[in-house]
Amino acid sequence: MMNKKEILKLAKGFRGRAKNCIRIARERVEKALQYSYRDRRTKKRDMRSLWIQRISAGTRQHNVHYGHFMHGLKKENIQLNRKVLSEISMHEPYSFKALVDISREAFPGNRHIYHRPRKVDMSITA
Amino acid sequence: MATQAATAFSGNVKKALAGIKRINLDGLRWRVFDAKGQVLGRLASQLSIVLQGKDKPTYAPNRDDGDMCIVINAKDISVTGRKMTDKVYYWHTGYIGHLKERTLKDQMAKDPTEVIRKAVMRMLPRNKLRDDRDRKLRIFADGEHPFGDRPIEPYVMPPRTVREMRPRARRAMVRAQKKAEMQAQGGSDTRKNKKKEVEEEESA
Repeated sequence: MMNKKEILKLAKGFRGRAKNCIRIARERVEKALQYSYRDRRTKKRDMRSLWIQRISAGTRQHNVHYGHFMHGLKKENIQLNRKVLSEISMHEPYSFKALVDISREAFPGNRHIYHRPRKVDMSITA
Repeated sequence: MATQAATAFSGNVKKALAGIKRINLDGLRWRVFDAKGQVLGRLASQLSIVLQGKDKPTYAPNRDDGDMCIVINAKDISVTGRKMTDKVYYWHTGYIGHLKERTLKDQMAKDPTEVIRKAVMRMLPRNKLRDDRDRKLRIFADGEHPFGDRPIEPYVMPPRTVREMRPRARRAMVRAQKKAEMQAQGGSDTRKNKKKEVEEEESA
């Protein structure tokens, strides 16, 4: 990384003088490499979070919370991981529904997740 | 396109149909939210979820995949507590000392759609997709909309747990109800006459 040419090659696409002038490019490239080191680790976290969001959206279409769904799967000893589950929920809706039904059987607290509204509404309209 | 439905709609048709060409990918659903009797913040929260597309398993944070949301009866939105008079919208014009404010009541009188729009926009993430999502949200103060010819799905809000009224508030409400009943029944009688009548009835 000591060569000027190498640094300017890594600085392609940067904004302003950072892609042209070596003094500025050197700083920005160092920062960029630090960010990429850090983000190779956070990418794993972000992807898992995205899978969980997708699974949660898919199960809520069938009136099941994500947490209850995973609990039911663990009880039934289904060891599919979240990556695969998110792919199933995106592209194979019927298989996903089957999984949701399995989880619902295993965890009977899932019958009706919504609570009944208990008392009178006390809001004020215009 | 929407000409037959537009004649039934007595509002600003141009404004309602603005920018539709910019939204591509019409694999989206058109969902109708009825704001009548809904609490402002809870409705806005559900709207922001649907606008971002977070209720679909094909959610991706880098592209905008939310459904078109149409809100009707915006003038019948409700708020709890004293927010109708006490909630204030502040904004600064940029000039020194010009911090402007407006209460909810005045804003509803002026333009009820802005109330919901502000609430939803402030709940969306502040990124480059925010403007596109704003374009997908259409709010109407009355109960009609010019999109009658599209495939429309009404949106059912998830049921809400309302907590019990506090004892003091409940007593005040009961008293107000009784007062309204008494006024409806005997308008001309003063309170003392009513009291005497009640005592006579009790003694008799």
